[in-house]
Amino acid sequence: MGIRNTLDKLEPHFHQGGKYEKFYALYEAVDTIFYTPPDVTKSTAHVRDGIDLKRIMITVWLCTFPAMFFGMYNAGLQANMAIGDGFGALSGWREAITMALAGSHDPGSIWANFVLGATYFLPIYLMTFVVGGFWEVLFAVKRGHEVNEGFFVTSVLYALILPATIPLWQVALGITFGVVIGKEIFGGTGKNFLNPALTGRAFLYFAYPAQISGDSVWVPADGYTGATALSAAAQNGMGAVQQAYSWWDAFLGFIPGSVGETSTLAILIGAVVLLITRIASWRIMLGVFVGMALTAMLFTTIGSNSNPMFGMPWYWHFVLGGFAFGMVFMATDPVSASMTDRGKLLFGLLIGVMTVLIRVVNPAFPEGIMLAILFANLFAPMIDHFFVQANIKRRQKRDAAYSTATTEEAT
Amino acid sequence: MAADSVKDVVLSPVFKNNPIALQVLGICSALAVTNSMSVSLVMGLAVIAVTACSNLFVSLIRQHIPSSIRIIVQMTIIASLVIVVDQVLKAYAYEMSKQLSVFVGLIITNCIVMGRAEAYAMQNGPVMSFLDGVGNGLGYAMILLVVGFFRELFGSGSVFGFTVLTPVQDGGWYVPNGLMLLPPSAFFVIGLMIWVLRSIRTEQVEKAEYRIVANSKAKIKESV
Amino acid sequence: MASNNSIKKTLTVALALCIVCSVVVSTAAVVLQPTQQKNQELDRKSNILQVANLYEPGMDVDDAFDELITSRVINLKTGEYSDRFDPQSYDQFDAAKDPATSRTLSGEEDSAGIGREEMYSTVYLVGDDPDDPDQIILPIRGQGLWGLMRGFFAIEGDGNTIVGLSYYSHSETPGLGGEVDNPRWKAKWQGKKIYAEDGMNPDISLVKGGAESKYEVDALSGATLTSRGVTNMLHFWLSESGFGPYLARFHGNSEGA
Repeated sequence: MGIRNTLDKLEPHFHQGGKYEKFYALYEAVDTIFYTPPDVTKSTAHVRDGIDLKRIMITVWLCTFPAMFFGMYNAGLQANMAIGDGFGALSGWREAITMALAGSHDPGSIWANFVLGATYFLPIYLMTFVVGGFWEVLFAVKRGHEVNEGFFVTSVLYALILPATIPLWQVALGITFGVVIGKEIFGGTGKNFLNPALTGRAFLYFAYPAQISGDSVWVPADGYTGATALSAAAQNGMGAVQQAYSWWDAFLGFIPGSVGETSTLAILIGAVVLLITRIASWRIMLGVFVGMALTAMLFTTIGSNSNPMFGMPWYWHFVLGGFAFGMVFMATDPVSASMTDRGKLLFGLLIGVMTVLIRVVNPAFPEGIMLAILFANLFAPMIDHFFVQANIKRRQKRDAAYSTATTEEAT
Repeated sequence: MAADSVKDVVLSPVFKNNPIALQVLGICSALAVTNSMSVSLVMGLAVIAVTACSNLFVSLIRQHIPSSIRIIVQMTIIASLVIVVDQVLKAYAYEMSKQLSVFVGLIITNCIVMGRAEAYAMQNGPVMSFLDGVGNGLGYAMILLVVGFFRELFGSGSVFGFTVLTPVQDGGWYVPNGLMLLPPSAFFVIGLMIWVLRSIRTEQVEKAEYRIVANSKAKIKESV
Repeated sequence: MASNNSIKKTLTVALALCIVCSVVVSTAAVVLQPTQQKNQELDRKSNILQVANLYEPGMDVDDAFDELITSRVINLKTGEYSDRFDPQSYDQFDAAKDPATSRTLSGEEDSAGIGREEMYSTVYLVGDDPDDPDQIILPIRGQGLWGLMRGFFAIEGDGNTIVGLSYYSHSETPGLGGEVDNPRWKAKWQGKKIYAEDGMNPDISLVKGGAESKYEVDALSGATLTSRGVTNMLHFWLSESGFGPYLARFHGNSEGA
């Protein structure tokens, strides 16, 4: 109980009038990491449930682990394969660490791949955490609210949707934009209408397109250019993709791409946990999936001679790019998604349809899920409004019918 | 109204009652023409000229404008002035007018111009109206220049076309921020500016609908 | 004030205002028109001088243009010089819209994505002899990623060696496709060759990741579709559909005689 005692001893300083009143948010954050919050609901009616925001967020965080660990392995694997093909390894401290820990660039060694991938992903994650955390604490202190666990999730999601080679200063700028403009400007966690992680990525996508899109950013090996499967499909058609990768490669994740997005399987493992614990809405996921499948089928039926993306079947759309990651982790963000049950379905559908539409029809963006989710985020309040109003109307009608029926009986 | 001092009329729209920052008018052109400072400057001057002159002319004939066609009269005056300004720019600042393209013409739809004609020039004398137009035009131009400064500096690494941060394409170290060259970035810059401005001048903040109670835990603790 | 709203007064004010405003506007337009046209000319001329590497800051564009450059109109199909139009006043963009002076391109032929092609085009020549010029400057246009890109393409007198490529209007993404304006990229064109053999099939193209031969230029990094647009537009304008027949006249000539 040493920690409890220390914390208790420190606590008075952080309360109103105390020496460190301004930093109460920090104290609270540390306290609740170790112990359950002491306050309980005192009014008569309340739901008894062990789940609170912190637990939800930690669960989501844990659910990203399969994708995260596989992502590190795969980032290393892709690089080591390129190095095996004669491209140079990037020099610098990353190389030094890889050599010290793994000793080789052997793509056959799981450990060597993992270490190399980790030297890329961990700095990105750390940078995200430090810079994003700084803003989070700054606003918490300034505004006098608690540091929110939501940031755990935002930071890991943000780090996972970046390419391994992204410069760290861009990581810092992106998360700054995501947290400040995407969230804090609207009042912080719970009041943001955009997903902060995606907002940050969108910022980088438009500000520094050369480092986050194109062919040379996905695999950290010197001079290596390899398109993601999606841009390969957009340029050279499905045939080129199938020649390079089998569907199973793509499903398992052995393709180049953003660190956490490649393995549909690893993401689905997380999805299962999220669905069982009912943290993520199955309606949203279903909506996204159905919307994507229907639109993709529509395009394959129409067909096109000039645009090879028309020919991509739905089961390929499902395993390529950030689709699975977006569907499981981004679209289901409870703050920026729709709240009503039927609204969630519609919200999901909108994302699915827009994703395929952007991927297939827009010549400039091979990937569409990021923009589709941000777009749907903007519509979420309107969708909710629509369903709530419809519900109110339906009830009024029913009540009116009921009351006229009773008055008729009475007369 | 007669008590307005010259200084007030000219300066208050620049800082205290800025048409963009406080009233959030005239945003559209602020988005489109602020990717470099020189373009912002020309656009600002054009708006100053149009607002000042339209205020002057509207005020001059304000006693004779029938109220039924008042808006159309103002509109016609403004439109004529905008066309004249556009023609002058095309003749004497061709490079600029190429970059401004349709946005000079769109000054017609700028709410600031019409708003001042309707709200001020219709009730005040020509001299004061002219100054009011100059003041509001200045307020607009100032915001345009500030936004233009940030967008040009971060987007191209230069100020008024002079390189300050040498971009990597030209062998320097600065990686230009492409978002800053796209119109939406003006939204972010203006938004952040309004944020800063209202943090300093708290009287500009609109009333909050609700507040989060700060540091409320302490009291609960005491009662436990 | 009540009298202001009488019908008579309303009409009088409206009429007076209309007359005054229209006089002001038309005066401005008429008085300033010559200056404006001169500006447009100057702009076009300095663009042409720039692509031919003849532009120096501070030079008198008008004089330099008149001295160094001859404008001619050619028949695109035959490749012969034509006197049907006055090169000073001929506007090929207008001509491309007029069915009488243009033709519709079939989907297959239209790799530049311009829809209609004029039958006559202006060309700008550096040097005195129209059959053996120092440089030939061709106006080209075609679809980029976001819209039409318009520019000039300068070639040495042999009709094969490239001097430069420059766009004066485009709407490509800043930082990616917008890099067509970057002087470092533009400099890569100089000295490259268009045709590998004496034919009308241009070989010049943009390639990713390191141009090796003299028929290749580095693609714009991260801008696949803009690069493809540039390649397509050059292939179109330098082929039989475009300036191919005209350029074939010069293939025997030496470089910049």
